[in-house]
Amino acid sequence: MKDMLKRENVQIVERVEDWQEAIHVGVQPLVDGNYVEPRYIDAIITNTHTFGPYYVLCKDLALLHASSDCGVNEKQLALTVLRQPVRFKPDGYDVRLLVTLAASDSESHMQAMQAISNIFSDENRIEKLATAATADDAYAQFIAAAKE
Amino acid sequence: MEVKRIMCCCGSGLGSSMLVRMNVEKTLKKLDYQGIDVTHSSVSDATENAADLFVVGKDLEQFVSQLPRVIVLDNIMDMNELETKLDAELKK
Repeated sequence: MKDMLKRENVQIVERVEDWQEAIHVGVQPLVDGNYVEPRYIDAIITNTHTFGPYYVLCKDLALLHASSDCGVNEKQLALTVLRQPVRFKPDGYDVRLLVTLAASDSESHMQAMQAISNIFSDENRIEKLATAATADDAYAQFIAAAKE
Repeated sequence: MEVKRIMCCCGSGLGSSMLVRMNVEKTLKKLDYQGIDVTHSSVSDATENAADLFVVGKDLEQFVSQLPRVIVLDNIMDMNELETKLDAELKK
């Protein structure tokens, strides 16, 4: 799991203007690390216009992703904790956690998805992650969930 | 008709659909349904012959309206909702 989520791809951000900025901010660590090309950001925004924000899976979680062929170089996750929530549609959930997935194929990120499932099926753990004091703390929580 | 293949779908066929697939597999095991193949894919792959039953989140409902058997989940992460709807559908 430590290969799938690197510490430098976990960040805490005070606020974003709107959902489009949220996508830019949430994906940027993966662009910086060359895990994805900048067009991956555009692909997620285009997908959102086509399908709606179906990746907002529950309160507080947006699992940002597009297809492997939209500029993914190497599989990786990024985690962004937003201090102030953002909405991806007016009547949607408030979201404080952006998990960006760059998948290299349709199967190999199963363990990462298991960690996400472990955290986001439990309201207490969502709250704990959303209020993590530091990026180190958020990272440790995520890695621990992957080991279950 | 007996369900042998379930396909879970999302916009790209990678993230949310995989989560739903893992939850469907857990639920089938819990309810002791055997011999059902579960896959995940994008809604564009969701054609009538691709599976016997499709599972999608509410946001994508309009994209699968042409399919005969669909379970629409209000909350993708809610295992109780999935269990109730899946069990009811498989008993049909």
